[in-house]
Amino acid sequence: MDFELLHRLTTAFGPSGYEAAVRELIRKEVAPLVDEVEVTPLGTLIAHKKGSGPRLLLAAHMDEIGVIVSYVEDKGFLRFAPLGGIFPLYAIAQRVRFANGVEGVVAVERRKDESKPPALSEMYIDIGAPSREASPIRVGEPAVFVGETVRVGERIIGKTMDDRIGCYLLIDFLRRLRTSRFDLYVAFTSQEETTLSGARTAAFGIEPDMAVAVDVTLTGDTPKALPMAVELGKGPAIKVKDRGMVAHPRVRDAMVEAAEREGLPYQMEILTFGTTDAAAMQLARAGVPSGCLSIPCRHVHSPGEMVDVNDVERAVALLLALVA
Amino acid sequence: METTALLRQLSEAVGPPGYEAPVAELIERLWRPYVDELRRDPLGNLIARRRGSGAEPRPVLLLAAHMDEIALLVSGYAEAYGHGYLRIEPIGGIDRRVLLGQRVWVHPRDGEPLPGLIATPPPHILSQSERKKVPPWDHLFIDPGLPIEQLEARVRIGDPITFRADYLELKNRRVAGKAFDNRVSVAVVTLALAALLERTHAWDIVAVATVQEEVGLYGATTAAYGVAPTAAVALDGTFARQHDVGEDEAVALDGGPAIGVGPNFHPYLVDRLKEVAEHHEIAHQIEAIPRGSGTDAWAIQVSREGIPTALLSVPMRYMHQPVELLSLRDVERAARLLTEFIADLRADERPVWEDEHGS
Repeated sequence: MDFELLHRLTTAFGPSGYEAAVRELIRKEVAPLVDEVEVTPLGTLIAHKKGSGPRLLLAAHMDEIGVIVSYVEDKGFLRFAPLGGIFPLYAIAQRVRFANGVEGVVAVERRKDESKPPALSEMYIDIGAPSREASPIRVGEPAVFVGETVRVGERIIGKTMDDRIGCYLLIDFLRRLRTSRFDLYVAFTSQEETTLSGARTAAFGIEPDMAVAVDVTLTGDTPKALPMAVELGKGPAIKVKDRGMVAHPRVRDAMVEAAEREGLPYQMEILTFGTTDAAAMQLARAGVPSGCLSIPCRHVHSPGEMVDVNDVERAVALLLALVA
Repeated sequence: METTALLRQLSEAVGPPGYEAPVAELIERLWRPYVDELRRDPLGNLIARRRGSGAEPRPVLLLAAHMDEIALLVSGYAEAYGHGYLRIEPIGGIDRRVLLGQRVWVHPRDGEPLPGLIATPPPHILSQSERKKVPPWDHLFIDPGLPIEQLEARVRIGDPITFRADYLELKNRRVAGKAFDNRVSVAVVTLALAALLERTHAWDIVAVATVQEEVGLYGATTAAYGVAPTAAVALDGTFARQHDVGEDEAVALDGGPAIGVGPNFHPYLVDRLKEVAEHHEIAHQIEAIPRGSGTDAWAIQVSREGIPTALLSVPMRYMHQPVELLSLRDVERAARLLTEFIADLRADERPVWEDEHGS
C-alpha cells in the first residue's frame, strides 16, 4: 500500500461542497494515468480512460463530513450546523480546522439535564477569539475534524476513510490498470455526504451503461454491534442493498464472479443505515444499472474510522478483474 | 415602479400550488415590457427571456422565483343542521395553528370566488382540554354560508382555497400580507428586469416564475432542465429575527438580502454576489445552509450535469402565516444587488472552482 498517498488524501481539507484541495491532489495523481480529466459544474472530477466497450462509471466521493459556521457570538464563540451526518457524541471535544488553518475545539454549553447527549445546537466551537469583531472566522466558513492517519498492524485509523479510502482505491486501480473492456470513467465525486448531488449530476453527463460506487460500509464485528454479516479484514463487501437502493443484480453478480474468478475473499453486504453515490447514479436519465463495492469500516463518521489494508488491496484486485 | 404597489398586487393575487394561472397572468403583464420572449412550460412555469449584448451563443443566467402560495383544497363536504361545510386539506406547509378565525376565498372551477371562513365552535362550549389543542384537520371546516345542496352545486372537490388577507402597510417601511413567500422574490425579479432596461448586460437573463415550489420544488425541477442555464440564482424568503427566535437561528430584518452559503451554492457565485454587494455598498448578510436548501436552488443545482446556483433571500417574519412581514428596504436592496450582479457578468465569464483558476 502507498501509505504516503493515503496519508495525503486522508488529511486534505474537503468538507462536503468544498472539495477543491482534495480535487487538486487527485487531479495531479490521475492526470498522467488517463486520457482526459474534467471537472463538472458541481465539482466532481472525472478521469476518462478511453475504450471501445460499454461505458462504465466508477465513483468514490472526495468530500468528508464537516461543519459550517452559522453564527458568530459577541464573545467570539462559533455556532455551527453539520455538513453531513455528524453524531453529537463523536463531535464533543473534537478539534476542528478551517480552510485558513484556524483551529478550534468543539465545546458543550452547561446544561440543566446532563442525562441525555447534547444536540449540536447546544455546542459551539471555541477558536479562542476574544470577540465577534476579532474573530478570523465568519458565518458560512466550513471546517473539518482534525485527526492523524496512522497504521496499526494491518489496520489503518483516520478521520476520512469515508471515503478517501475509495479515492485511494480508484487511484491505485488506475495505476495498475492494464486491460479494460470498458470505456472507463472514474469519478471523484463532490457532495456525497450532504445530498449525493455530485454523483447524480456526473452520471447524467456521462450517461454510463453501468455504474459502481466505491465507498465504506459498517461492520457487525464490534462489541454489542447491530447484527451485520460484514467484518473487518474478511474481504471487500459487495452490496446487496442499503437504505437508498437495491443493487442491480447484474452488477452485483459481475462483482461476485470477478472475485471468484480471482479467488478473492469477499462478503455480501446488507446495510440498514445510509446509502452511497450508487443510489443517485442508478436514477440518472432513464436509469443506470448500479452497484457498490464497499470497504468494511468501523466507527464510521468518527475521527477514528478504521479499515483493513487487505480489504483495500483485494478491492483493487476485484475491480481490475471486473473490467478485464 | 413603486415597490409597495407591486407587492400589493402580487400578494393579493391567487396562485396555490398547481393552480397558478391567475398569478401567472399578472406576472406576465408585469414582465412583458421588459423581456424579449415569454412562454409557459408544460408544468405552468412562466419563462421570460431578456437577451444579453454578448456574442452568440451567450451564457444564460436563470432567475427562479416561485409564484405559488401555500393554500387549502376542498376535500369533501359536511352537513350540520342542513347547513353546508367544506372539508379541507393543506397544499404546502400550512400552519394549522393560524387557521382559526381566518377569512378565505374559495375558488370554484367555474364562477366567481366564494367568500368563506374557517369554522370552529366557540371556546365557551369546548372542554378545558379541547381549548388547549389545535383542532386536527378533520375538525376544521370552511363555512361559506350556504345550505348543503347549494354548496355541493357550486363547489367541487379539489377547488383551491386561499387566505383573504389584505396587504397591510405598517410604519417604518414595513409591510405585511399573505404569499410574500415568495411573491416578494417575484417583485425583486420584476424590479431588476425593469432596472435592466436602462443597462447593458452580456448574458441572457431567463426569469422564471416557478410553480409548485411549496409542494416539492417541481416547477424549478422542470424549468432548470428545460432552460439548461449556465448558472442560476434562486430567490426566496428566509427567516428574520423576532421575539422568541435566537440570534443564531435567523437573519436580521432590515439587514439586506441574505446570500446563501453551503454545499448547495457554488462558491464562485457566492463570492461574486458578495463582491458586487460590497462594491456598490448594498447591505447584505450571509446565511449558512448546511445541506439541500429546500428552495428552488436545490432542484436547480442538481439538474442535468449540475448547474452552478446561488440563493438570494429576503428576510421575512411570520413565514407561512397570512401576515408575513418584510421591510421594503430589504426588497429594494435585493433588487439592486440582483441588477448590479447581472450587469457585472462578463461575456466570457463562467463559474469555476477555486483549483481551476488559470488551469
